[in-house]
Amino acid sequence: MSTTHPPAQSTPARPTSRSRPVPRSGRIGHGSFGYVFFAPFLVVFVIGIAAPLGYAAYLSFFQDRLVGGNVFVGFDNYTRALGDELFRAGLWRVTLFLLVQVPVMLALALLAALAIDSGRLRWPALFRIGIFVPYAVPAVVASLMWGYLYGDRFGLIRQIGDALHVDVPRLLSESWMLASIGNVVTWEFVGYNMLILYAALRTVPQELYEAAEVDGAGELRKAWSIKLPALRPALALATVFSIIGTFQLFNEPNVMQSLAPDVISTSYTPNMYAFNLAFNGQQFNYSAAVAVVLGGVTAVVAYAVQARSMRKEQSL
Amino acid sequence: MTRASIPSRRRLLALVPAAALALTLTACGSDAAPVVSADPSAALDTETTLTFWTWAPNIEKTVALFEKKYPKVKVNVVNAGQSAAEYTKLQTAVKAGSGGPDVAQVEYFALPELALSKRLVNLKEYGAAALEPKFTASAWSQVAVADGVYAVPQDTGPMAMFYNKKILDELKIEPPKTWAEFETAAVKIKESDPKRFITSIDPGDAGGVDSLIWQAGGRPFQQKDASSVSVNLQDPGAKKAADMWTSLINRKLVDTAPGWTNEWWQSMGSGQYAMWIIGAWAPGNIGSTIPETAKDWRAAPIPQWNAGDTVSSENGGSAVAVPTSSKNKAAAAAFAIWLNSDPEAVRSLSANGLFPATTELLKDPAFLDQPVAGLGGQKANQVFADSSAGVGKGWQYLPYQLYANSVFKDTVGPNISTDINTGLTAWQKRITDYGNQQGFKVTAP
Repeated sequence: MSTTHPPAQSTPARPTSRSRPVPRSGRIGHGSFGYVFFAPFLVVFVIGIAAPLGYAAYLSFFQDRLVGGNVFVGFDNYTRALGDELFRAGLWRVTLFLLVQVPVMLALALLAALAIDSGRLRWPALFRIGIFVPYAVPAVVASLMWGYLYGDRFGLIRQIGDALHVDVPRLLSESWMLASIGNVVTWEFVGYNMLILYAALRTVPQELYEAAEVDGAGELRKAWSIKLPALRPALALATVFSIIGTFQLFNEPNVMQSLAPDVISTSYTPNMYAFNLAFNGQQFNYSAAVAVVLGGVTAVVAYAVQARSMRKEQSL
Repeated sequence: MTRASIPSRRRLLALVPAAALALTLTACGSDAAPVVSADPSAALDTETTLTFWTWAPNIEKTVALFEKKYPKVKVNVVNAGQSAAEYTKLQTAVKAGSGGPDVAQVEYFALPELALSKRLVNLKEYGAAALEPKFTASAWSQVAVADGVYAVPQDTGPMAMFYNKKILDELKIEPPKTWAEFETAAVKIKESDPKRFITSIDPGDAGGVDSLIWQAGGRPFQQKDASSVSVNLQDPGAKKAADMWTSLINRKLVDTAPGWTNEWWQSMGSGQYAMWIIGAWAPGNIGSTIPETAKDWRAAPIPQWNAGDTVSSENGGSAVAVPTSSKNKAAAAAFAIWLNSDPEAVRSLSANGLFPATTELLKDPAFLDQPVAGLGGQKANQVFADSSAGVGKGWQYLPYQLYANSVFKDTVGPNISTDINTGLTAWQKRITDYGNQQGFKVTAP
């Protein structure tokens, strides 16, 4: 820190070295230098993402049987996956979850973000952190905790219901399970989505609000005409994240399975199905095919939503 | 027993010290050891570190005895998860060729699958065949898979009926000796308090239902040869058991709450369940999970289908195996053999809560007369030993029982409170489909 002596080696050679005629292999050198910066990412990307994906795709064209060994089967695993009722049921289940839970969660996140941004709350920082804290709770812990609350005999919700003489439905039964899981996921991710939206709101220039106020706009009007349009890209982003997350639903149902094994089957969600195929059934190849199909479906849906929202963006 | 798997003199020589180790059981046997590659006792004289995956309670104490005796071998005890969780890791590690243990605890139901898929070493190569006379017939028959010996039995779970003495005394019910009496008792218990059940059936536990079918005489899974199996979950035994439990469940005399959850243990502890029909390993769990009421629990023989019989079955129980990915197979095999057949080790295992698989200990008066702490000091080992002697013969597991058990909750689970037979039929279909996909010839006799 405290360098008292003058910089001794402020080399006078520097200017000359800079003015040294650079061999003009020019643009190529320039371009390839970029790859050096790019390389660390590329290495990690190839090792961590591209290679495993490629390997999974490769695996999906074989069948390793307990009797008969490993054989190349072409697209057999894929035709089986497309006709697999268990896989389809799981896919339908997460689609239903997507259609109900994601809008509810995003609406709540939006409401929270707008409320905090409105400046009308007493302790906005407290609300912000309070809503965000569940995101810091690991999904496994959250699912266990909610699982205990849902418990049919000694769960808190049931006990409160009993005390108030209200008939609480069996939250871990077949008809309620998806909603119960939806509640856990909402609880976990409202804060996260709120932060995305809130950050987007902070980028709205103050002058816009001032101008609106001059025009006589109240808080609601400002929210409707300034904030919501400004939030559109952030909302699209949050939606895409949520779609991907929903199709990959795994932790919550997997943990709750021990509380309701008769409701949550091994194929309850597509990801659980792929996991159980691979690790309980030793069907690594078929599991890889299921995972590839699931990845494809997710990509298509996420892309469709994004493309749609971008088109809207441009039409504005 | 010693069949074609000993091709050479070299192999035969390798057996000598191993047999010596197994039979004399005290000396380390290295003095007589010729230098052969698969010589387990010589391996114990070399600096080695073994990794041992197990979830057996207090196993470290027995391992410490081993390390004291063979100071050159260090054993790292790792809890890599219980049951299916461990097998998942084990299969993945062996498939990957690294990261797996040298020695692993494996339940009997999972052994055929792991052996058939070449995940486990045939311990015959290390002299394990000589151990047969030391173990109960049912334990041995479960490690002897397809002409090999793929593990050393560690503990067994002969079925027993555990009951809450306080409740039965209060209602003046004698512990039922037959299933008919059990049903009568169930009605009485329900009448005393509508929230009470005589017991519960776990909709997620294939093993529990298997044991009940086994005791009723069912033998649903049979392996005929390396590539053909038969599955019949509607054989007379299976049907008999399923009919009775379906009837009890439909009349709300038996609960269907998932086992081992917080809620389930609360029901056990608070007297909502009067009984638990399960393997002899239960007292340890009762003692540690519901210590306040553990003193109220007692063991009795499992109810019989025909009065006067003594037919039993097994639930759970584990063996110790050596995965093929181990780099120290000889030492690992020697450790597995010592751990489960040396009298000192076996007594230590038993003292730490495992029910023995060796005939010697099962006849030992000191063992039989020992009060069991978890059961209010009852000399329950006598009950368990009788049950062990009465285990029905001929039970087999499928060479893909891990998968089969994992889809029990998908098939029987949702049908548990309507008709178990429907569930068993659905289970059979899933098992059959999977077997066919895996290249087996699956028949339903």
